[in-house]
Amino acid sequence: MIRIRALVAVAAVAVVAGCGYSATPVPQAVTPEPAAPATTAPCTDTGNPTRSYAPAAGGLPSPGNLPSGSTMAAIRDRGHLIAGVSGDSYLLASRNPFSGVVEGFDIDMVNQVAAAIFGTAKGHVQLRVISAADRIPLLQSGDVDIVARNMTINCARWDQIAFSAEYFHSGQKILVQKGSGITQVAGLSGKRACAPAGTTSLDQIQELAPDAIPVTATNHTGCLLKFQNGETDAITGDDTVLAGLAAQDPYAEVVTGEALTDEPYGIGVNRDQVDLVRFINGVLERMRADGSWQASYARWFKPSLKVDATQPTPVYGR
Amino acid sequence: MTQTQAPPATVVTPPAKTARTEDVPKLLNRWQVLAVLACLVFAALTAGLQALAWHANRAAADNTEQLVRVQNIQSTLFRADALATTAFLTGGLEPPEQRAAYDDAIETVTRQITEAAEAQPADREALADLSAAVTDYNATIAQARANNRQGFPVGAEYLRTASTGLRDTSVEGSAIPIAKALVAANAERAEDELGAQHPFLILLPGLAALGLLFWVNRKLAQRFRRRINLGVAAAALTVAALTVVAVVVAAVQAGNNNDLEAGSYRASYRESTARTAANDAKANESLRLISRGSGQVYEDRWDAASEVVLTNASNETVPLWQDYVTVHEQIVALDEGGRYDAAVRLSTTTDAEGSTARLDAFDTRSQEIITASGAETTDALRSGNTGILVLAIVTLLLGIAAAGMAVWGIGLRRREYA
Repeated sequence: MIRIRALVAVAAVAVVAGCGYSATPVPQAVTPEPAAPATTAPCTDTGNPTRSYAPAAGGLPSPGNLPSGSTMAAIRDRGHLIAGVSGDSYLLASRNPFSGVVEGFDIDMVNQVAAAIFGTAKGHVQLRVISAADRIPLLQSGDVDIVARNMTINCARWDQIAFSAEYFHSGQKILVQKGSGITQVAGLSGKRACAPAGTTSLDQIQELAPDAIPVTATNHTGCLLKFQNGETDAITGDDTVLAGLAAQDPYAEVVTGEALTDEPYGIGVNRDQVDLVRFINGVLERMRADGSWQASYARWFKPSLKVDATQPTPVYGR
Repeated sequence: MTQTQAPPATVVTPPAKTARTEDVPKLLNRWQVLAVLACLVFAALTAGLQALAWHANRAAADNTEQLVRVQNIQSTLFRADALATTAFLTGGLEPPEQRAAYDDAIETVTRQITEAAEAQPADREALADLSAAVTDYNATIAQARANNRQGFPVGAEYLRTASTGLRDTSVEGSAIPIAKALVAANAERAEDELGAQHPFLILLPGLAALGLLFWVNRKLAQRFRRRINLGVAAAALTVAALTVVAVVVAAVQAGNNNDLEAGSYRASYRESTARTAANDAKANESLRLISRGSGQVYEDRWDAASEVVLTNASNETVPLWQDYVTVHEQIVALDEGGRYDAAVRLSTTTDAEGSTARLDAFDTRSQEIITASGAETTDALRSGNTGILVLAIVTLLLGIAAAGMAVWGIGLRRREYA
């Protein structure tokens, strides 16, 4: 009897010790620390922020006639223009995966500037794909000559860099599903609208449609992903960006009509290189005259935005 | 039996005082019960501890196999990600062989998840979540591919989402955090079982039984003026011999397991850690190039992964990793020098001078080392383990026999008294 009890006890110990592992814990989500809010630089200018430097008297100099000692001459002597651009903003500047070439409206602007310095852009442009946050630091350090990366001209930025005259007038619009029946921002009431986290675009939407449900993503393409996966009903942002998103999705359209905000785009230049700013403004004047701006618009944006546009009238006076 | 048996006369004339106050047959019964209990409890406990040791070795082998399996799942997931991101870089139409390699990797992961769930019930819940995460990842990669084939940049966003989602710790149910939890849990189980040989613990039942048998023998000696009771002494000798054997076997086994843990087990674990990090690094190399201009975050992750490889890879694979690092540095230099297309070419080509071939060389050798070290560990744990079980049975049987010897020995005295 004793022996049997002892054996049962041993067997019980063996079973308890050997077989019962506790279940592998499934890790819980770790909430990341929220990023520090961006600080806005103080603004010292109260005039129209789109004011730039007027082109030099006598018109645009020819490539062989660039003023000696000028920034343009230095770029020509180097052999290539270095431009900071976006790499993933479809229609503005993105890499064509088939050709490997970065192309878009902003790239057309860069090529026009290069052609004015070298006679032809071919072989004289070094595109440097940069992030939005790098635009100002790289201009200040002189690592890039110009930045053409859907950059809005504003007073605070003028304190850090210089801008060309406005080369495209963009504004905040909304992108919705075709056939959704939404024709204006107020129609977003009760619907979900997506914008990149940390931008003010959603505030504009909520002013006009207080019941709109905000959805955020890391960038606009992230919003398109949510749109395609049914996680948002609309995307808001600059019309140029939305045009690029609509072009990638046959079921999306940009709502036509008045924009919610004004986003004047300018080409960024180091603030000490006023001669280059004047030169670029001369190039922009020439594009207006020879129709090349219209050709670029018609090629890149017209199919998606479905409205005509004209090159913005430059404002000078700095 | 030619032992010295005292003439009955001496036995029947015990000290007068004792005879008056003690019931000798009752005392003899009591001592017999005590001696028998000492032998049986010793046998049960020692055999039980040996059975546990036998089971621990089996469990250690099973857990090591499961660890190798879940580490392989983790490495293969990163490998799939590296293949997907590299194929993506080549443009809209990805090379069929890279697509096939990606499909193979996902298939391996899926199959191993099923095998792992069968092997360890405690892992099933986590593996079910992992399986769901892998399905999500694969679906997002398919969307990335479909968009990339049409030349849409949103394809890159799908790819980034899939890649980031794979590793994301801020979202519940991400694949890699679950795989890491599985690796940690199985490593802990394997190491606990490897350390489950206790030579000192197995000594205790033997010492206790010997103490009791010594005491019983002394009492008998006091009553019957005989120094040694042959049956009790034989029982004590048996217990002592079994204890010595048990302790020696447990000590040898503990030493072997320590050697295994520090040797082939650790080698497999570390190489697997290196292989996982290596594939993570290659995926980040591609993501850096895909996220042109804002790829620094991926380069930082590459640096961290490379550090893990260098810390954990074996002497055989470190040189192969360094071969890869040389090419990676060229890719970074080309990219930073404005020669993006050349950087992409070096990263995506399958030629020997490209980073893909170098990574593949590392991955293949690394996998061989993991398989060999893992098998070495489990083979060592399983070979000779049956001997411990046989020893447990022998201990149990001889322990029972020792109890019989004690009964016989005390029975002699009872007969003398009668």
